[in-house]
Amino acid sequence: MRLVKILERLLAAIPIMIGVAVIVFLFMRLTPGDPVDIMMGQGGMVTAGEIERLRSEFNLDKPLHEQLALFLFGLLRGDMGNSFTKQRPVAQLIAERLPATIELALGAMLFGLLVAFPIGIISAVRQNSLTDRLSMAGAFLGISMPPFWLGILLILIFSVHLKWLPVQGRIGADVHLTTVTGFYVLDSILTGNREALISSLRHLVLPSVTLGAAVAAIVARVLRSSMLECLRSDYVKLARAKGAGEFSAVAKHALRNALIPTVTVVGLQVGVLLGGNMIVEAVFGWPGLGRLVVDAIFARDFPLVQGAVMVYAFTFVAANLIVDVLYTYLNPKIEM
Amino acid sequence: MRTIKHLSIPLLLLVSWLLSACAAPIAEAPVGEAAPTVKTLVVGLAEAPLTLDPADHRNRTTETVIRNMFDGLVTRDTRNGVHLELAESAELLDPVTWEFKLRRGVKFHDGSEMTADDVVFTFNRIIQENMIEYPEPHTSPRKGLIAPLQEVEKVDDYTVRLHLSAPWPPAMQLFVHQQVVPQAYLEAVGTKGFVEQPIGAGPFKFVSGQLDDQIVMERFDDYWGGAPTLPPVGPACVDRAIFRVIPEASTRVAALLAGEVHIIQAVPPELVGALMQSPDVVVKTAPGTRPKWVELNVNQPPFDNKLVRQALNHLVDKDLIIEAIYEGRAVPLPGVLSPFNDFADPSLSPYPYDIDRGLALLAEAGITDANGDGKLDWEGTTWSFVIDTIEEHRQLGEAVVSQLQQAGVDANLRLWEYSVVRPMLLAGERTAYLGDWGDSAFDPVGHMEAKWHGIVEGSPYGRGNFSGYNNPRVNELIVAGETETNVDKRREIYNEAQAILYEEAPAIFLILPEEVEASRANVTNWEPASDSRINLHDVCLE
Repeated sequence: MRLVKILERLLAAIPIMIGVAVIVFLFMRLTPGDPVDIMMGQGGMVTAGEIERLRSEFNLDKPLHEQLALFLFGLLRGDMGNSFTKQRPVAQLIAERLPATIELALGAMLFGLLVAFPIGIISAVRQNSLTDRLSMAGAFLGISMPPFWLGILLILIFSVHLKWLPVQGRIGADVHLTTVTGFYVLDSILTGNREALISSLRHLVLPSVTLGAAVAAIVARVLRSSMLECLRSDYVKLARAKGAGEFSAVAKHALRNALIPTVTVVGLQVGVLLGGNMIVEAVFGWPGLGRLVVDAIFARDFPLVQGAVMVYAFTFVAANLIVDVLYTYLNPKIEM
Repeated sequence: MRTIKHLSIPLLLLVSWLLSACAAPIAEAPVGEAAPTVKTLVVGLAEAPLTLDPADHRNRTTETVIRNMFDGLVTRDTRNGVHLELAESAELLDPVTWEFKLRRGVKFHDGSEMTADDVVFTFNRIIQENMIEYPEPHTSPRKGLIAPLQEVEKVDDYTVRLHLSAPWPPAMQLFVHQQVVPQAYLEAVGTKGFVEQPIGAGPFKFVSGQLDDQIVMERFDDYWGGAPTLPPVGPACVDRAIFRVIPEASTRVAALLAGEVHIIQAVPPELVGALMQSPDVVVKTAPGTRPKWVELNVNQPPFDNKLVRQALNHLVDKDLIIEAIYEGRAVPLPGVLSPFNDFADPSLSPYPYDIDRGLALLAEAGITDANGDGKLDWEGTTWSFVIDTIEEHRQLGEAVVSQLQQAGVDANLRLWEYSVVRPMLLAGERTAYLGDWGDSAFDPVGHMEAKWHGIVEGSPYGRGNFSGYNNPRVNELIVAGETETNVDKRREIYNEAQAILYEEAPAIFLILPEEVEASRANVTNWEPASDSRINLHDVCLE
């Protein structure tokens, strides 16, 4: 039954994706700036013939509705077109960079949750204690710090001064790794390359902390407040009255129920991780999708921006779906 | 609990494996990986190269990477001198025919020998339509850079002739930017195969890499040696060279300070100080090729009055800006051309900073502080205008605006994205724009046409003309300069054009910043180049 519901939801996502495709297509065309002009740059002579030729190659000479139809039919065939600036298929470019972005997002999420759960639970259990106040102050700081600033600060402290961690990149410049999946940590394990594994893990630390700081802060605050509510609830009091130990009351009864709003927030953080990674990827020279999109936007590389936004949109839809599925496990009374 | 038990054993194994790896010295890296004695040079690039196909881009960074793997008929030193590279000799047979004799025994990275066929193929791939077949058939975006080149003829295996449509004085400067590709290999693997595993006749051969991340190259031991007039000649000094993409300037600087990279480009002026404090880092500069001006819309009152434009040139203290923002690493512009351009008129000197003179000129144009509020008035109200610019020039813009305000001019700065403001500037819809225009060929051709010739729709003329300046005599001179082969006559032509432009001042001529690059102290034989090229052939690591 659950599988049928999941399939239904996936089918319902199709009109959303088409809507996103049309909107991003129109927005890119409405944005001032001509991709051919930008591509020609400043050097040398540029003739009208050359400009016309490029416009024709990029289909920019066709009426808007025709360009849109070409784009949508291409999408149906699984063809996102070719990048104007890089002269390569968009799908290929995205596929190359997506693993880097996902690896960073997973690292950030892992960091965020590892920090948020203990803080959220302890703060709730010891409400108004010094630990609680310090943790919440830290969480406030985590939300407030712009990733750009935090990233540079971490680089200065841990890379330049202490020299504990590398400044940038996904792996040491001179470390050889045979890529299998594009996920460097996983590839290092699959190929049994210890040096690459250590190097890729070390490179993952600072970007993950930078990107995950806001996640940790938000999740910790939500978990704390929902835990407080649950700890005051009748069923926890009853559990305690029945002789359940403190650990059991907190972990089994309060935490499980407090997880429902927390999971919602974690799901929403997928958006934060995707949106925030453009900045973090730029700061840490992380060759992911965010950096590709930023460059593409400035170059008005329409097909590349369109393709990347489609991937982002799909990730959002998928994340929401996963959250909904998780609800049904956490509370069987909830239906999809 | 059972799941945890199941997981615990592999987890323990993984942790112990990691710990043992931490304890193991890096020298015990698996076979096939770089040995510790290998000299690897890492360069931090400010942007990612777009491709590794020399014919399929129009981008400086891309060319910087490519020219370490590919050589051309001619090359350039770190300033503006052109030197023979794959060509043994170059002769202008008549005003429209260049003949190049090729060196013998030059090998591509696959061991095949370079011949005239490769050179003909290289140029045809650029100038002929739809010669690049991947991902869709298209024409090289570099065609316009060598637009006068009409035909390439093979005379014999080691001689080629390049036929031009008209005399073209800067030909050699522009040939520097075209690199020779191996015909047989490229035809065998196609463009797709070629960009994945490029092969050239340059000092380094491609090993691996992803354009947005890093490009790894290895020394090509059978390299023919490089331009004899640019010693050292022979194979490259370092074993490996890696171009690593680090777009954020602060991160690039941090990576250099931490020793992760050896050379970085595009150091912003505000970060130079941090680098200078480190004994492990050396900051080097080269004369830049991006002059900066505030172009004034000459069709919009009161900027249609040259007195107003001249006045503003006197109200900006270029020397102070150079000291305060660029810490001395820039020169004031003596007019429209960079002073390092081959045809810059040495008799012109920058407009002197002279507030009294500036205010007197403005008064002559009817702009005075009529109501005594400290701000200049024009036609009964405060004279105010906006200078548009982009983020890259923000700091300079703020300084210019501040100096104008001190003189009583109510000027303000507005930031734009270049691609957004450019069409408005060309349409004459804006008042003033602070920007630059690259001049890496060191020749007025291309630059004068774009910036100071009147706008002619659908032509190269005026494609970067943001002031709307259109003087028939200057237009005539610019066109004449394109084809005049006599250097002295050409100099006369450009001197006259520069004199008119200096007098008419369609812009506030600001400064030419130096290219600032930095390296680790153990990097030797490296000099930054004016055209931002990083030639790793000569560079050594101590």
